[in-house]
Amino acid sequence: MSRRSRNRWVGLVYTTPALAFVSVFVLWPLCHVLWLSLTSRSLLGGGEFIGFDNYTRAFADKSFWQALEFTLTYTAYITPILLVLNLALALLTAADTPLRRLTRTVIFLPVVIGLASSSLLWYWLFDQQVGLFNKLLVDLGILTEPMIWFRKAASAQVAVTISVVWKVVGFGMILMVAGIQAISNDIIEASRIDGASSFLRVRRIVIPLAMRSIVMATVISVIGSMLAFDQFYLMTKGGPRGQTFTSVYWVFQNGFARFELGYSSALSVILMVIITSATALQLWLSRKGSKA
Amino acid sequence: MKSLSVPGFRRLLVTASLVAMVASPVSAETLTMWVRESAADPGKLMVDLWNGKHDNKIELTAIPDTQLVTKLATSVAGGNAPDLVSFDLIYMPDFMKAGFLTDVTDQLAADPHYATHVQAYKDISTYEGKTYGVGFTPDVSVLVWNKDLFKAAGLDPEKGPTTIQEIVDDARKVHALGKDTYGFWFSGACPGCNIFVTSPMMVAAGSKILPKNGTDEALTGDGVKTVLEAYKTMWDEGLIPASAETDTGANFVSAFVGGNIGIAGTGGFLISLMKREHPDFNYGMTLLPGISAGQVSGFVGGDVVAIPAKGKNEAAAREFLTWVLSDEAQLDGLAKNSILTTRTDLADNEYTKGNQPVLMTAKALAAGYVPWVFHFADMVNSDSSPWIQMLQQAIFDGDIDGAITEARAAMLEIAAR
Repeated sequence: MSRRSRNRWVGLVYTTPALAFVSVFVLWPLCHVLWLSLTSRSLLGGGEFIGFDNYTRAFADKSFWQALEFTLTYTAYITPILLVLNLALALLTAADTPLRRLTRTVIFLPVVIGLASSSLLWYWLFDQQVGLFNKLLVDLGILTEPMIWFRKAASAQVAVTISVVWKVVGFGMILMVAGIQAISNDIIEASRIDGASSFLRVRRIVIPLAMRSIVMATVISVIGSMLAFDQFYLMTKGGPRGQTFTSVYWVFQNGFARFELGYSSALSVILMVIITSATALQLWLSRKGSKA
Repeated sequence: MKSLSVPGFRRLLVTASLVAMVASPVSAETLTMWVRESAADPGKLMVDLWNGKHDNKIELTAIPDTQLVTKLATSVAGGNAPDLVSFDLIYMPDFMKAGFLTDVTDQLAADPHYATHVQAYKDISTYEGKTYGVGFTPDVSVLVWNKDLFKAAGLDPEKGPTTIQEIVDDARKVHALGKDTYGFWFSGACPGCNIFVTSPMMVAAGSKILPKNGTDEALTGDGVKTVLEAYKTMWDEGLIPASAETDTGANFVSAFVGGNIGIAGTGGFLISLMKREHPDFNYGMTLLPGISAGQVSGFVGGDVVAIPAKGKNEAAAREFLTWVLSDEAQLDGLAKNSILTTRTDLADNEYTKGNQPVLMTAKALAAGYVPWVFHFADMVNSDSSPWIQMLQQAIFDGDIDGAITEARAAMLEIAAR
């Protein structure tokens, strides 16, 4: 056996645990979902192979496309907010001083809370009668009386966005702080000596050199928003009038409220293709941008 | 010599095997039982009583309501189902059809107590002539009113509304007490709450709500429209708090208990809650009314208990089912804890004597209905169901006829699957 082929076998042995893990917990469920999507399987049992009928049905399912449209709107809405806040907070707290480390920790704290818990917390904070958030806005004179946040789709989306931003902003910030801290101090010092303003330093040095972290934070944020479920399930229940159903919520509705496992699997596969394509496009654009 | 008929012989056989089971010195078993989380409290009372008096013990596990169907389906398929399961009775038709449950027809036919079991539980637990469970921890919807607010509004505090129109009239008078006092409450974004407290008013007025199949009728009669019009009137006039529109059930009970609501639909479970947490709250309880005085109904809810198919301790689990209908379980497990009995002959007992609310709920249980349909979750309970969409479109958007027409079509489409 040549040294090269022996190395290959050693490499395979080293990767076996990871391969086994991915096979059992990713590949097998993925294959199973693909198979289920071609059947009329119900959560209550039964069902048969029906080819691509579930996919044909999905393309004619107005509610699914409405949910997807809402999800895309939500993603388009929350991503820039998170991106700007992540970057601003990262720039403000990147320097390694005790006060800034403390600030970073405080901002990061909500990340360790489960999304379901934080959604429930905010649901009650937004409550019209006992919600402290409403009370704060009234006391500050921003509102004249407590508002029913979940009465209109737009205000419900604002409420959910506030809760999610509070919950996840610390994560993106930490990623970007890592990117900023990786920039060599010599470059920053050199730019200072050359008389570059703070704004110019951020624009011409920090952002380009921390671009990998920024892209990573954005990709994670987009994927998270495209998969939004908990926050809407707990805070809006898809309301008012079904206007805040997200794609994943709609998949859940079909699988676990309507018991249609086959159909909900087909919806999941479609969603997976859309998210994978969006992520690939995002990465391709960022690579193209960095080459240019 | 007179020969035994086949059913008679089977009954004898079942009785003999039950006697043999009870009499034989078998070793004690530990049974597993699942109960949906929202019914875990009464379930635990019953199980504790059983455990205190039997060698076979039951280990009770509360399962989140939304996970019970999935868990039961996967456990039955995987052959590791619990020995007993207590779940929302509306899933019974789907579970029976799916073959999740063990047939207990012969056992119940041989049980003298089964004859007086509340009819609604018998009906919902029967599929193609076979019975698969019994009512366990019952509940039924009723109408409650705040006697103090009624008195302040110049209404008779001892007399609740007896028609839908009276609800509207009384609600107007209560709301006239001040802008923070409201006449009526319902959870406008909670499908389950409304099938429980709003649909019985429609049924009382002669309407049929849910179709059994795609060729059946849905949302028939004047009751549906009359109730929706009454709710819309109350909503338009501000007799209902604005927060009702988005309430997903979180305030289903607490809104009335807050003390500024005149009338609300609720369940019999309120009695023990009030006794425990608000003993001084002055409220009255009556049956949910229809269009004319005398028309009444209620939604029979609560849990049924059944034996999942492929259970490992079927014989011991059957003993529990028999015990659930016994005097001991009914009186010491249910009535003593201000819970309704599931046997009509025990409705009036030493614990309920003079307790008007409990006696009222017992009446509601007898007059109540439970829809025997497949796909109940899809038609009613899901967040996108035609039922909740109809209520919201009619009451908050004002399009009553359009809402009924669209919901009817959607329900029939679901029922046809």
